[in-house]
Amino acid sequence: MTKRMIVAALALAGIFIALYLTLYKLGVIGELSCSIGSCETVNTSKWSRFLGLPVAAWGVLFYLDVFAVALIGTLPRFENERLISVVLVAEAAVGVLFSAWLTYLELGVIHAICIWCVTSAVIVTLILVVSLADLRDFRVTDAGLGA
Amino acid sequence: MHLYTPLLAFASRTLPTQRTRNPSRKMPANNDRPRDRNVPPRNTVRESSGSNRPKAFFWILGLIALVGVAALGYVASKPKSRAAEVRDVADTTNSGPAQGYLIGKVDAPVKILEYADFECPSCGGWATVTEPDVRTRIINAGLANLTYYDFPLNQHRNTLAASNAAACADEQGKFWQMHDRLFQAQDEWNGEATEQPKPFFKRYAGEVGLDVPKWEACFDARKYNKRIGANLADGLRRGVNSTPTFVIANKLYPGMRTYDEIKRLVDSAAATASPVPGAASSTSATKK
Repeated sequence: MTKRMIVAALALAGIFIALYLTLYKLGVIGELSCSIGSCETVNTSKWSRFLGLPVAAWGVLFYLDVFAVALIGTLPRFENERLISVVLVAEAAVGVLFSAWLTYLELGVIHAICIWCVTSAVIVTLILVVSLADLRDFRVTDAGLGA
Repeated sequence: MHLYTPLLAFASRTLPTQRTRNPSRKMPANNDRPRDRNVPPRNTVRESSGSNRPKAFFWILGLIALVGVAALGYVASKPKSRAAEVRDVADTTNSGPAQGYLIGKVDAPVKILEYADFECPSCGGWATVTEPDVRTRIINAGLANLTYYDFPLNQHRNTLAASNAAACADEQGKFWQMHDRLFQAQDEWNGEATEQPKPFFKRYAGEVGLDVPKWEACFDARKYNKRIGANLADGLRRGVNSTPTFVIANKLYPGMRTYDEIKRLVDSAAATASPVPGAASSTSATKK
């Protein structure tokens, strides 16, 4: 398994979590399965929408995009393409910042925590860590060769 | 011409180096190393080979997708029943006849009954997303009227208080304004957001233009607890066990409905209601 494969697998898991929260927001699922925290409070709060779309739907789009980029990055043709790693790191960084903001809202403003949102935040953080490691491989390479 | 020259020169320099970046830069570094080492040195560029997309990767992706689809399918198909909890919601004894809140023409050809809980997220979704369309295109158009009945679920701590707030607004003829305000702001007063919903309700009472001291006296006295209990009892008698639930032409439709579904149900109810031709009173007189 390469690091990009790990990123793809994490993003796929993220897609389903975000999809679950989106389906709830759309009313397809009646109740959130939420043994820890207050998922409904968070997902019915006014911060559960962003630019006209449910935050969870943005999450689905985000993870789909990361999944696609990471998957393309595993193709033999692209696996030495540094740009893929740069894009993954950039996207993951945006994802982490956005998740950090949402987690701040949960803890500091809504005063309720949603376990699925936290899980998503953990996944996106892992994606960033693995993407950074992936990008670092190129740096190490360049440095090593330059020496 | 001279524009192309540097471009071509650039392309001829970059393209081959990109493609041969690995071998050309790697060769010197690896020349002195045995090729068959199991662990490649850290400072080599990753090599392209068919084996870099192992079957295990696809198995893992497949497994995640399978688990995800199965889990989503399961939760989406699970009935949204809250029957077990509803049975605990009691205080419906000796509550008298149900008295809902009507919107639309009293003599509209089709009657929609809605059993809802002010704190339930699906009811909030219906009230804020779908209902505005239903009001404009069905109720205001005179195709149907809608009567709202309280169906407070006992797992929602502040819902009974919200029903009281709305009932006290009804006393001043502003139930629907309060209804809309409560659903719009469900996120800030619900039982998980606060244990003290009254300040929010009081603010809404002012915002929708109620006589606030009068509303407050009514709210504090829980004046309409019996009416709410009666509405709940009516729903229970009809077999309602989740919110929102709609009754159209004596048929029960649990769960959120889209505008199109409501329109279709209203149309089919109107079609089977066998309208009396010429019964539209005043207008029929002016026809000839």
